[in-house]
Parts: sequence; C-alpha cells; structure tokens
Amino acid sequence: MSSAITRIRTLLPQGLSALLLSVISISALRAASFELPPLNTPASAEHHIGKVVWADLVTPDLAAAERFYGGLFGWTFQTIHTGDSDYAVALGDGRPVAGLLHKPIPAGEHRQSAWLTFIAVRDVDAAKRVALAHGAKTVSDARNYPLRGRQAVLSDPEGAVFAILASSSGDAPDFLAAPGEWIWSSLLSRDPGAEAAFYQEVFGYDVFDLASDDGLEHVILSSDDYARASANASPGDSKRRHPHWLNFIRVDNTTDKVAQAVASGGRVLVEPHVDRHGGHVAVIADPAGAPLGLMEWTDTDSKVEPK
Amino acid sequence: MNGVRFRWVAAGFAVLTLAMLNACAVTGVGVEGTVGVAGYDAGYYEPYGYEYGGWGPAYRVGPGRGGDRRGDWHGGDQGGDHGGQRRGDRGGQPSRSYRPAPASRPTPSIPRGPRAH
Repeated sequence: MSSAITRIRTLLPQGLSALLLSVISISALRAASFELPPLNTPASAEHHIGKVVWADLVTPDLAAAERFYGGLFGWTFQTIHTGDSDYAVALGDGRPVAGLLHKPIPAGEHRQSAWLTFIAVRDVDAAKRVALAHGAKTVSDARNYPLRGRQAVLSDPEGAVFAILASSSGDAPDFLAAPGEWIWSSLLSRDPGAEAAFYQEVFGYDVFDLASDDGLEHVILSSDDYARASANASPGDSKRRHPHWLNFIRVDNTTDKVAQAVASGGRVLVEPHVDRHGGHVAVIADPAGAPLGLMEWTDTDSKVEPK
Repeated sequence: MNGVRFRWVAAGFAVLTLAMLNACAVTGVGVEGTVGVAGYDAGYYEPYGYEYGGWGPAYRVGPGRGGDRRGDWHGGDQGGDHGGQRRGDRGGQPSRSYRPAPASRPTPSIPRGPRAH
C-alpha cells in the first residue's frame, strides 16, 4: 500500500505536467491567429512598396468559386477553416496566388462578390495614417497574421476599397507574371487625377499621364521604375459606375478563356479587344458576379499602340 | 517504463492528439490549417447593382510596352513641377493634381524577365 502511494506521489507531477501541457496546447491552438501562408518563400528582406502583391476574393459559394477558378487557371486550393467561414489559398504551380474567402451574405441583403487588391507597404500603420489624412476610411482595422504580415483594409476618397499589406516574408522579386498569375491592376474612378494624387501620397508612386483616344484621363502608377497599376476615368457617365479596383490575370489566349469562363458559369463584362500593349484584354464576372480581368502578354504582341 | 508512468504519459499524449485533431484535418485537395477563433476579417463585399463592364474597344486600362505617349499635361514645366494643373476629365475642369513624373522619363512598363527558379 505504502509502495503504491509512493509511486503515485512520484508519478503524479509528471502526469499533471502532461495534462497541463495538453491544456496549454489546446488553448494556444484555439487562440492562435488565423494562419495564412507567407507571400514569399523563401522569405527575404526585399520590399516593393506600391506593388500589388495579393488579391482575395470574397464569395458566398466557395465550392463554386474553386471549380470556376481551378478550371480556368489550373489553380489548386488549400482550405483553412475559421470559426465562421472558410478561406481557400489558391496555388498556381504550387505557389500561393490568391485567397478565396467564403462569407455568407446575410439573408435579405444584396451584395456584390469582389476581388480585394492588396498593395505592398513597409509599415501598415504609417501608411494607414497617411491614407486617412488624405481622405481614406477604415474598412477593417490593421491586424497581424503571423506568416503573412500586417494588413488593413481601406477605402480611398472615392470609395474604392483596397488593402495594404506589410508582408512578413518580404515581397517577391519583380518578374513577368506567368499565365494564371496576376499581371495588372486598374483603378476605375470618377477623377483619376485626384485618385492618383491620393495613391501617390500613400505609396510614393511616380505618376505618368497617358495620351488617350477616348477623351478620358488615364495615368500609370509606378514604383521601382515598373508600372504597377493604372488609374482611369470610368467609362461613360452612368450613375451605376462604382469606383473600384480591377485585377487582371495573365492568360495565353483571352478569347479562349472568355469562352471557357462563360461555359463555366461566368459572364462577359467587356469583350476581348486590343489594349495599349498590343495584346487582348477582356473583363469577365465569375459565377457569383465578381469582376476579373484577363490579359494576354506575349513577346509577339504588337509594340505599337493600337489606333 | 513502468505501467503507471506509461498510463500517465499516454493519457497526456491522448489529450494532446485530440487537441491537434480538433485543429487540423486533411482533405482531398490539401492540408487544412489552424482553426482560429479570430478568423479572417479582410473579406469585403462591394455594394450591389453597379456596372463593372460595358467598355468600348477604345477604352484602355492596361500598361504599355514602355515609352508610351504622355498625356497633355500643361500648366507646369513637365519636369516634376508640383504646382501645375492638368487636363481633367470633367469638361476641362482640372482635377486635384498629382505630382507628374518628369517628361524626360519614359513611361515604364511591367517587369519583363521571367521568375527566377
């Protein structure tokens, strides 16, 4: 009997330690921030402020979105469960390309599924302060996601929503996007001059005004001597135009991809046509209505601006 | 390892394993990650009922190949002047101005080189 008591006294602390470790593990896992993959692997100290480095889709039907984008661009997905929604990391050739967030639309409400554009900064809080001082509003406050970095969602002075992200793994080096990757981003706004001034304050862009044949104002936002995005006067004068960012995926053949998108439940918003670089672009909507651009970019495209 | 110690340690591992299984699962398409009570709050729905397309073929939003023709900036010295006004898109009304890149600088294009593997 006394031998048994002695053994219990000896082993009880070890057992309790194991139990405590387990409880701590549970708590740690439960309290852990939502873990997103790093943007850049291997991590680097390289930063490209003003570069569009990520995009998130918000959709009410994640499965349908995965079928659509997986079929169209060959993306595969890693799904992360959250407390009340799911987030799928889209992989292109094994690398994270985009995020697809399932978020139910409250009953009785109409909302437009959309892609959210993430622009690189070095210091989210400093960039946010500058943005707010120049007319932006906070949509989602700054928050850390350990592997990804710190990010915040803002709306610019016209109401176009975008995110700023300080990647904790650095920003990827500049290279020409492969098919299935983001190649370009455009801001469509009422007053691109004023919007360019705002984004210049926040990201330090060099701004190049462009000649145009449509009588509308178009500018290029540049950093590191690369064109990062364009700001454009919205076409037409319809009150149904809403300032927004539009991101483009590089494709090999715009016309074929548009046909494939339509066959997969998407819609054509802008028919394929030749753009400034001499290749074709188009705008489609995915099955949930999220707008998305498609852009060819080949060495054989005409380098002469189309008339 | 004696029997009692083994049972204590085994019990601890069992609880830990349950915790891990509760947090992670494996599906056919990939490894599913951590359950976070904090979730992800970056998802943003645009307001409904707006038009996102309908452009004509002359409306171009893409980048050029580099060295594209500049617009008709006027009112400044086209050399990075901060005080000029540019042609607006509202019946000639100037918009609040950005600081234009010097006219001597060619309009840049997107990166050209392929990804380094």
